[in-house]
Amino acid sequence: MTPPDFNALSDEEFRAKVREFFAEHYPPHLRFVLRRARLADMMDWYLTLSRHGWIAPNWPREYGGMGLDTGKMLILLEESERYGVSRVPDHGIVQVGPIIMKYGSAEQKKYYLPKILSGEHIWGQGYSEPNAGSDLASLMTSAVPDGSDFIVNGQKIWTTLAHDSTHLYTLVRTSKEGKKQEGISFLLIDAKSPGITIRPIRNIAGHEEFCEVFFENVRVPQVNLVGGLNKGWTVAKALLSFERINIGSPRRPQYALKRLEQLARAKGLFNDPGFVDKFTALELDLADLGSLYARYVEVVKRGEELGQEVSMLKIWAMESWQRLTDLLIETAQEYGGMPGEHSMDGAEVDVLSPFYYARPGTIYGGSSEIQRNILAKYVLKLPA
Amino acid sequence: MAADSQTSASGNDHARMLRDSVADFVKRGTDIKRVRRLRDTQPGFERPVWQQMAEFGWLGILVPEEYGGLGLGCTEMAIVAAGTAGALTPEPLTAAAVLAAGAIARGDNETLKRELLESLVAGALIPALAWQERPGALDATAVALRAEPFEAAIKLNGQKNFVAGGAGADGFVVSGQSPEGLALYWVPAQASGLALDLQPLADGRMTGTLRLNDVVVPKNHLLASAACASEALLAALDTTLVMAGAEMSGVMGRALDMSVDYMKTRVQFGKPIGSFQALAHRAVDLHIQRELSSAVLDDAVALFDAGASGTRRSAMASRVKARCSEAGLRITREAIQIHGAIGFTDEYDAGLYLKRALTLSAWLGNAAQHRRRYAELAAANHE
Repeated sequence: MTPPDFNALSDEEFRAKVREFFAEHYPPHLRFVLRRARLADMMDWYLTLSRHGWIAPNWPREYGGMGLDTGKMLILLEESERYGVSRVPDHGIVQVGPIIMKYGSAEQKKYYLPKILSGEHIWGQGYSEPNAGSDLASLMTSAVPDGSDFIVNGQKIWTTLAHDSTHLYTLVRTSKEGKKQEGISFLLIDAKSPGITIRPIRNIAGHEEFCEVFFENVRVPQVNLVGGLNKGWTVAKALLSFERINIGSPRRPQYALKRLEQLARAKGLFNDPGFVDKFTALELDLADLGSLYARYVEVVKRGEELGQEVSMLKIWAMESWQRLTDLLIETAQEYGGMPGEHSMDGAEVDVLSPFYYARPGTIYGGSSEIQRNILAKYVLKLPA
Repeated sequence: MAADSQTSASGNDHARMLRDSVADFVKRGTDIKRVRRLRDTQPGFERPVWQQMAEFGWLGILVPEEYGGLGLGCTEMAIVAAGTAGALTPEPLTAAAVLAAGAIARGDNETLKRELLESLVAGALIPALAWQERPGALDATAVALRAEPFEAAIKLNGQKNFVAGGAGADGFVVSGQSPEGLALYWVPAQASGLALDLQPLADGRMTGTLRLNDVVVPKNHLLASAACASEALLAALDTTLVMAGAEMSGVMGRALDMSVDYMKTRVQFGKPIGSFQALAHRAVDLHIQRELSSAVLDDAVALFDAGASGTRRSAMASRVKARCSEAGLRITREAIQIHGAIGFTDEYDAGLYLKRALTLSAWLGNAAQHRRRYAELAAANHE
């Protein structure tokens, strides 16, 4: 079915509609889950979104998405955060879907896109490898032509929710000639292919969110290439402007700030100037992030491409978030060393979950150090 | 910077005109030699340069057109404040044309207001606002200076500290407690019983302590009666906090550009030092601070120009002053470190930027003070 044209609504009408939708459909026990929720928990919600035509807010309507403009996208995200709506396993929606739309063949579009919408295909990202983390272009997993197939050998790691994925979109080495970046291809792989072994990795929060994926003589049809042979680096880099800015949004740290405020209020700390000074500094770090974020939102809304300087949003958002959870731990005193929810002066607060949850943000999607390298090179134009 | 060209609004004609005049001034009207020559002198700035600022229209940017000004807003004033401060200009532009002018323009004595504002805009009269009494006190309404009826006049007794732009001022807007409440008075510099003791600031300019010992002014020197004086002071101070932030943004921008340029040319171990990650990352962190400052500043001028009032206006002003003070001090401090020993010499300009940042940070409340003020305003809002 073709979803309604949400852009025709005013912002206020749309916001009201989103609130109503969440209140009516979102499972209450899944509000404010401070980790990447597993598919088993989220599948019902995935299907609900799918049924109502809400699963792909960023996709154009002709592909069955909501086709939201940037302003409406932000409203949807704001309301999601406000209501504590967890992400569904959304790599198909957010990453590979738009990539297939941009670089995929007609057959690929026809085959994959509807199955992402319906929830039949769940995608995981196979980029990082044990020896290719920040230096992603050094990846070694090889795809060697054999008839109409590739034979894939190697290992991926930190593949979020691979064990819940039916398909993996991967970067593989198809050439060892020339620059490292120029020998990489973007390949779609069925996770059920013989020769694939997926092993979950437990993280420091105790959750199994990411995995190792081993490829042993895995046969993948060559028609699963996206964007052409050795063009994978370009394909992978073409992340939408919106996603690059979304990662620097002040919304996620905002949740930690609210918990800190709740705890501090219960403990009467707003009468303690020492605490108020620290709290206010962090509160303003986020408020000022909001000002900077709004600048870039305006750029995207005007339909302009974001430059490399948007990296600074991610650095500041993620590092502010971590500083906030540091203060949360400090404020919880003894409970700062105890997992789970505890009653502290009448407030029921779990401080370690937000603390752990804030850790990977400075690592994934280009670590803070890599982002600084990017800014140094492209914005400050410092010599290499 | 790339971010500026991409994110700032293209601006109106006035903004463009002012940008041009600032560029012209920075190129021809002032230089670092002049800044150095005027350090620790009295009054520490030059009247002909002030006159030039008047001719550019800068002194009247915030003054309503009916009083001879341009009747523009914070957006335009911020351009001039940032540009002139970036050139370390010693003239008391924000102290006179924002702070004192802001208080005068909100007074309810039409005749006096017109006279003062018209002369200010023309460059003929430099006013200074004397509001603060105790160190660390940001509450402009906590005033001990007494204003009593005296025959057909008013007698003022008390002391004001940290009077910015006091050196060379032709007169003072003084806050005092009258029987009716807080009011503002115009006191000409040559009034009998008035004494101004100047103290040097870190950047070579002067601040002053103003003593009023039985100073008698005629009744028509009541500039703002109790009906409007508190709000006049508060609004003028909030606006000045934002403009001090704009000045700081100019200072930090130049100091960081200078440091980054140095990192590209200074060679050690056979490479430009900017290729070393420890320094490159440091510079990036400073750049982030500069961009945060500029983003908050943009939000603030937009909010002020949209006519914000009350707690919202004050909280925004404190946000700007807190971020810009913190960032400005950090960037100029680190500019010394990035330059190494040469940065620690008086002969090199990095120190001048640090010193201007020190005085701007300390003026009207530093970052720590304004974070507290913000917290208090936020708490008052919650109740």
